[in-house]
Amino acid sequence: MDERLLKCFRVVFPNHGDAELVQATTETLAAWDSVAAITLVNVVEEEFGVQMDYEVVPELTSFEAVRSYLSSIHA
Amino acid sequence: MVKLSEALQTVNQARGNVQPFTVALACGFTPLHLQTYLVAHLQGWLPGRRVELQTGLFGDLAGTLEHISESDAITLVMEWQDLDPRLGFRSLGGWGPSETDDIVANVQNSLARIRSAVDRVPAVPMAVATPTLGLAPAFHTPSWEASQAELDLTRAMACFAVGLGSRPSTFVINSQRLLERSPASQRFDLRSELSSGFPYTLGHADVVGESLARLIAPPGPKKGLITDLDDTLWRGIVGEEGPEAVSWDLASHSQLHGLYQQLLRALAGQGALIGVASKNDPEVVERAFTRADLLLGKDHIFPIEAHWDAKSKSVARILQTWNIGADSVVFVDDSLLELAEVKAAFPEIETIQFPKDDPAAMERVLRKIRDLFGKRSVTGEDALRLDSIRRSAEFRLEAASPADPESFLANTGAKMVVEFNAPDSRMLELVNKTNQFNLNGCRKTEAEWQKELDEPGAFSIAVSYEDKYGPLGKIAVIQGAHHDRVVEVSTWVMSCRAFSRRIEHRCLEILIDRFGARELRFQFAPTPKNDPVSAFFRPYLNAKPEGPFSLDPERFLAVLPRLYHQVEYANG
Repeated sequence: MDERLLKCFRVVFPNHGDAELVQATTETLAAWDSVAAITLVNVVEEEFGVQMDYEVVPELTSFEAVRSYLSSIHA
Repeated sequence: MVKLSEALQTVNQARGNVQPFTVALACGFTPLHLQTYLVAHLQGWLPGRRVELQTGLFGDLAGTLEHISESDAITLVMEWQDLDPRLGFRSLGGWGPSETDDIVANVQNSLARIRSAVDRVPAVPMAVATPTLGLAPAFHTPSWEASQAELDLTRAMACFAVGLGSRPSTFVINSQRLLERSPASQRFDLRSELSSGFPYTLGHADVVGESLARLIAPPGPKKGLITDLDDTLWRGIVGEEGPEAVSWDLASHSQLHGLYQQLLRALAGQGALIGVASKNDPEVVERAFTRADLLLGKDHIFPIEAHWDAKSKSVARILQTWNIGADSVVFVDDSLLELAEVKAAFPEIETIQFPKDDPAAMERVLRKIRDLFGKRSVTGEDALRLDSIRRSAEFRLEAASPADPESFLANTGAKMVVEFNAPDSRMLELVNKTNQFNLNGCRKTEAEWQKELDEPGAFSIAVSYEDKYGPLGKIAVIQGAHHDRVVEVSTWVMSCRAFSRRIEHRCLEILIDRFGARELRFQFAPTPKNDPVSAFFRPYLNAKPEGPFSLDPERFLAVLPRLYHQVEYANG
């Protein structure tokens, strides 16, 4: 899952390296604004074939948070 | 469908130090993924350019249009809620009978304001998407019945679209085609609309983005179609059943062939070249083409290759006669074997199987052929093309082995009509479709073309030609600038139909004479196809040009072969 999620982050944040992306939060990535957030959600939905709950999107503020959320809905 | 991640990758990869192509996007809603798909598709069709998007104030279409300054193209995307928020789902302004008249009036006012703003935007190509989403359930009738208000709104939008479509360089998305690509029920995403203000599903955003990109950077139309005869142009095997027995009508259950002939005739009328490659007895084919009820008669076709050689040999001869590349041509045959044989010899050719027993597939084929040859306007030049090719072939045949080449050229009765700085859309069309005699292969948008012509010292020259073999129409365009008797040529194209007539020599002589040139500079760049340009210049440079070069007019004139054209200046 990590590699597929990293792929999503790479296309939404193309100017950052993998090491930075796996540690990324909305605080560390200036490019992670509201538009990037919704784009990331749609790219993740497309990649994993899921529909994410838009209510939780504001809580998905880091790579780790997105990974945990995906694990929870796949569980 | 293109995935959003793929579109993003295309956009990301395009970043670099290349010439930008700027598109202004006027959109009433948050364009989010629509802009990604628009840029991605445009990027794919504009290699060598970096597409950049300018967006304005969402929620204010007219205001965005009014603030557009410099761009290479404009896209205008509107949905009903952009004309009155009550027609969408993000407003709680009121639905029902008490609101209806006001909604209709408000939409009409919004359209008038947008139209007024459109009339003031820069004169660059504009692609327009009229509402692609349905109206909100704001009206009193059940959804299967159109209310008067909905009909009024539809009429207002249709009038608006008609008005825009008649504006120069303004192109409106074909809603029927959009419906085929993106079914109405799969377009609207209420979840996304409520959460982010973006109302489209990803699939619909892809299709709308692609459609807008196609309007801004349309693919060049194919130039020629080579067709088989038996079980393709007509139903039946003419060599076995006889010319009287083959058919193409409803009564004979062969209407698909009649429709095909009808389409090819229409294509011939808009300047497409139609040729025949058939394994047949030529005498039988000749007799078949005497039938008066053929929709596509012999007058519309040139050449006809009817014999027992391989189809690829016929195609090779036809391409040579037309003097165009295989990538500009479509080959249609009912036999998969023949299609494969031709494709193996000419990988660039587009091959289409004629589906003689499958009406649904045939409808798709008819639409595909129409798309491959579709063009925005048909000119008088287009109607001349087939006749011109036929006469050029006769010209080449006679020029190939005359006893005295000079005497042959002297007796062609050649006449050139030269126009300086004439506003003519045909010039840019010729620039953008000519491959062989093309100084550098650069394609230009209308905005770029106009911008260059507005520079100090800029000039353009359009050349028409005719001789005793008939008129060739407008066949050459030169564009550049002159300062202090130095002439810089940035564009020079000449139709392949005009080769072997020393027209290119005369063009340079005219340039030297007109501007009293002491130096000619050419922005030459080699392309995979412009060897004819290199070959023309080689004797004057003593080498094959590899890039931009200068030419000494005196040296050119000293070795200029004798020219026989009568030259007439159309505008002094």
